[in-house]
Amino acid sequence: MRAENAARSRTTVGHAVLLLGVLITVFPFYWMFVMASNTTGDIFAYPPKLIPGSHLWENMNKVFDGIDFWGSMGITVVAATSVTFLVLLFDSLAAFAFAKYDFPGRRVLFWVVLATFMIPMQLALVPQFVTLAWLGWVGSLKALIIPGAANAFGIFWMRQYAQGAIADELIQASRVDGAGFFRQWWTVGLPVLRPGLAFLGIFTFFHIWNDYLWPLIVMTDPGKVTLQVAVQQLNGIYTTDQSMVIAGALMSVIPLIGVFLIGSRHFIANLAAGAMKF
Amino acid sequence: MAVSRRRFLALGAGSAAGGFGPAGCGSQRSLGDPDEITLWTWDRSVSDELVARAETKGIPGAQGFKLSRTNIGGHFNTKVRTALAGKSLVPDIIGINSDVATYFPNQDMFVDLNAFGAAELKSRYLDWKWSECITPEGRMIAFPMDTGPTGLFYRADLLQEAGITTDPKELAARAPDWDGFIALGKELRRSQERAVICPNIRHVWSIRLGQLGSKFMTEDGRYIGDRDELREAFELAYRIGREGLSAGAPEGSPDLYGVITSGRQPVGIGAVWWGLAFPESAAPKTGGKWRVADPPGGSGNVGGSFLAITKYSKNPEAAYKFITWLQSPENQVKAFTEMSLFPSSPHSFTRPEMRESRPFYGGQRTIEVFGPSARQVRTVNKSPYDRVMDPVFAAELANVESGKNVDTAWRDAQNTIERELIREGAI
Amino acid sequence: MGLADALRGKTVERRGRTAKPPPDGSRPLPGWRRYWPMYTAVSPFFLLFAVFGVFPVGFSIYLSFMSWDGIGETRPIGWENYAYLVTDSDFWQSIGNTLVIWILSTVPMVFLALVIAYALHTTVRFKAFYRVAYFVPNVTSIVAMTLVLGSVFSDSSGLLNSALRAISAGEVGWLSDPWAMKVSVAAITIWRWVGYNAIICLAGLQAISSDVFEAAKVDGADNRQTFFRITIPMLRPVILFVAVTSTIGGLQLFTEPQVLFPVDDNGNVGGPGGEATTIVLYLYQQAFVFNRFGYGAAVGWALFLLIAVFSVINWRLIGGRDEDAIGTGKRKGKSRAR
Repeated sequence: MRAENAARSRTTVGHAVLLLGVLITVFPFYWMFVMASNTTGDIFAYPPKLIPGSHLWENMNKVFDGIDFWGSMGITVVAATSVTFLVLLFDSLAAFAFAKYDFPGRRVLFWVVLATFMIPMQLALVPQFVTLAWLGWVGSLKALIIPGAANAFGIFWMRQYAQGAIADELIQASRVDGAGFFRQWWTVGLPVLRPGLAFLGIFTFFHIWNDYLWPLIVMTDPGKVTLQVAVQQLNGIYTTDQSMVIAGALMSVIPLIGVFLIGSRHFIANLAAGAMKF
Repeated sequence: MAVSRRRFLALGAGSAAGGFGPAGCGSQRSLGDPDEITLWTWDRSVSDELVARAETKGIPGAQGFKLSRTNIGGHFNTKVRTALAGKSLVPDIIGINSDVATYFPNQDMFVDLNAFGAAELKSRYLDWKWSECITPEGRMIAFPMDTGPTGLFYRADLLQEAGITTDPKELAARAPDWDGFIALGKELRRSQERAVICPNIRHVWSIRLGQLGSKFMTEDGRYIGDRDELREAFELAYRIGREGLSAGAPEGSPDLYGVITSGRQPVGIGAVWWGLAFPESAAPKTGGKWRVADPPGGSGNVGGSFLAITKYSKNPEAAYKFITWLQSPENQVKAFTEMSLFPSSPHSFTRPEMRESRPFYGGQRTIEVFGPSARQVRTVNKSPYDRVMDPVFAAELANVESGKNVDTAWRDAQNTIERELIREGAI
Repeated sequence: MGLADALRGKTVERRGRTAKPPPDGSRPLPGWRRYWPMYTAVSPFFLLFAVFGVFPVGFSIYLSFMSWDGIGETRPIGWENYAYLVTDSDFWQSIGNTLVIWILSTVPMVFLALVIAYALHTTVRFKAFYRVAYFVPNVTSIVAMTLVLGSVFSDSSGLLNSALRAISAGEVGWLSDPWAMKVSVAAITIWRWVGYNAIICLAGLQAISSDVFEAAKVDGADNRQTFFRITIPMLRPVILFVAVTSTIGGLQLFTEPQVLFPVDDNGNVGGPGGEATTIVLYLYQQAFVFNRFGYGAAVGWALFLLIAVFSVINWRLIGGRDEDAIGTGKRKGKSRAR
């Protein structure tokens, strides 16, 4: 009886803690909506207005006037999708080779992959920009897509995944059938790696979507920037109209939350598993 | 995740193609379509109506070319310089703020406007403004836009309450110099205990600097930022702060507007654009109560800007046509009536539109103050290194305002500047 | 096996021996013809790394000995950039700021993440809901949410100060006071990452056998005792993972202070007095606001050095004793507790 009570009270305390935490976590989203749907005057008044208002549509229209929202959205979607696709392609190929095949230099090469993982690339922010300038890529989508098309994290993570998931026997069987490396990757590797690819894909997509420093520097044409930079520009030009700026912020966040809520269960489970693999 | 491998490949390839298709393969040096002259400015720097006309109907005098203007938010120079360093998608024309000299070391990034016979137009514009466009090597890399002649703005109603004359001439005679201005501030205290005469003491410094005949460096590159005249200006700013006549509002903070809307700052020396940026936009309710008089301490200039054509321009001639059209005396008048951008061409001062009485200023003809003020501004040598030195003085004055000893601050400023100039290879 | 082992070369060696290509009776092909597919498969990464990694890093060594505005000519100046760096008070201030913000964010965050993870672990219902709710901040855009929280923190008219005023508590200069500014940046970081870390801690908790908690309960341990005496020690590897990733992230903090305190007309960053300027923000300012590309390269190397030092400390902490290595920790933990 006492144990039951203790368990119940523990659960109650647990829920109380969790709910309080959720309130704090979720509040900014609520407040974002309140700000975006009121006028700037209402929000900065004292006492401030704490419930959603009726100006959302008006504020959103101001955003459409202020920045090329759909253009930025398009650039962000194309960049994030392209990088995700290339990362999945290149990383899974490399991971498959590292995990399941022996070839001269493999150890050294894999060590290099891991070592690059440790280098903070901000170190080379300036020369990377200069390299892009020489290539003539500054301001173009290539600058957003190509440098990130393969990464050490993905290769490492996929290799860990592949080692556990792909049975050597399957590869042997495939080889007996006369399949070469790429055919084995396609018929044996990819189907088994699909859950891992899904995680890496969502992870990469979010990462590119939210990236800020790099697009801020390389997308020099203000008419052609990612959503993050566009929202920051909005804030730079219309600082005094916070309602409008926040409406822009809200619009930039909605697609992401949508994607996340659809794939959240899968994503969170894989994230946790991924962390445990380190 | 029910995406098949094949569909995945198709999807990815499609989006990647989408990424490269419109971007093209070769790099594009000049921003915009082949028939577009692209212009980067910041908000409120050019007449929106004139720009819109050039965007829809084409550039007058340049057949087949249209304008495409982008308003840049945030730090303007960062965007421009990053684009120049990136060497692609550089706009045809850029706006340059009053710090035009910082672009002198990069003069070959810009088209020499003398190539298009700009010299013929020289007589149309103020001498001091024109000379700021020309590098020490004699290249003209920029073209005059607006100027920022200063005046003494004041609230007639609040002055009346304090028993001070509200007539512009009498007021100017009463506060001909900064000491008179300080005395005026003290008198204002009679009716309003917390009255101030400036938002912060850096403001005093920049106004005073705009009144002097030279800035930090001579034409042959000698540092003169430690001379007595500047030391006195530094002390003047400090003195106004010590008298409690500064609001101490941080630069860029909403408090700058607060002191105007609340009426705490009934007088202030500012450039002509200050009137639009502060009282007219932040405190529209005070309309009709403001007046303008000759500034204490003499005429000066703060701000004002330029236009320049980059060497990447797809058609510098069309760009030049646009600039000279936009900044013709007639169109400068338009920019003034529409955006309070004060002309750099004295030819426009006499136009009837310029001489109209301004309701916000109680029907006063403000041109009678700003026109003569603009003509009297002295030619000042600006240095490319000003942008290294300006922030140092500003930062030390901010320190003074929050309690740092003024002598120490002055010494620290000089030491920092010496260090920075050595680093830049300037001395 | 994990990254720590792999870096020390163990994993790779082991796998090297157990990987099994051909002996399937087919005649061995000459080296190149046999291996070219694997080399092709790994080449995209190395190609990109050569162009956008090795070359820029090498080039930045050269650049760091130059004075260059990125537009005009380069001018060799020897060690001057580094000499300036050592005595550059703004640079040291940015390092100090970064470390302070890192501590202000990491310490409370690890603690809160543990509390949330523990509460999630002991709660049976609505787990899926909680996990999603706590994770959402991490996938939303930093720029957007920093703008929202920035207006909450606004000195004169923000929600937080309005609330403080309502309860007659003193207002705080969240965006102007040197310490409060750092707290604001740290708070945004915590908000964004606490759920992420809680979920990782939860995974660690779930890997601990429930027997241990049962045993503790039988021994009469209360909630607090269980939390501090059992949960935390057994979670050490996971906590270290969280600490390592937060360190790497914390030292590279950029977006939050850059959006919260936009570059002003004089090119100053990090708010009043530059009190929220982090190292990467300082690097950005020097290189792209003041156009000191050479100096920016030198600052980049200083940043690299700093992160390297911290990484070594971290790897020592993780890899120093084998039994504590992440990934094997949970197994060892179980046997130790019995």
